[in-house]
Amino acid sequence: MGKRREKPPRGGRPVKSKPCVFCKEDVAYVDYKDYNVLRRFVSDRGKIRARRVTSLCPQHQREAATSIKRAREMALLPYVVGR
Amino acid sequence: MLIVIPELDEEQVGNTVGRFRTIIERTGGEAGEPNHWGRRKLAYEIDHRTDGFYVIMEFTAGERTLVELKRILRVSDDVLRHTIVKLPPSYAHKPLPEPEEVTA
Repeated sequence: MGKRREKPPRGGRPVKSKPCVFCKEDVAYVDYKDYNVLRRFVSDRGKIRARRVTSLCPQHQREAATSIKRAREMALLPYVVGR
Repeated sequence: MLIVIPELDEEQVGNTVGRFRTIIERTGGEAGEPNHWGRRKLAYEIDHRTDGFYVIMEFTAGERTLVELKRILRVSDDVLRHTIVKLPPSYAHKPLPEPEEVTA
């Protein structure tokens, strides 16, 4: 799984795409039990961050999203923060 | 993974988990050693409870295991939540994060 496609520069310097962290560490399975890892991919409101923010590859973004949802079900991560 | 109600003590939690182990084994599965995370704070309230005992167990399932196990987990009053997840064949056994202890 390679790098994200280079975006065409929009009014300035070209956007350097960051490689997906899970690909970089060669993670085969995004575990819902690693809630501390998953916490990096939710906003401080508890919402799942967009791909352009997390800079994950499509496969891992999808896996991370399912894992976050599983973790929420088991009360490892909150559904909403501060309400 | 299952969450057991916080009203029980460690031993009763062990008994509860043991019950599920026998179910797995009776129905042709193989149950691994349960991994006790201990008492943990929940991310949100479930039935007015703020913490619970987390237990993780890996097992292989026989034909009837899942049907039976799910049915019994659902009717058990001392299990707050449970999930059964099919692990990929490449799943590596790595040490789990230290559970946050709650003094309650």
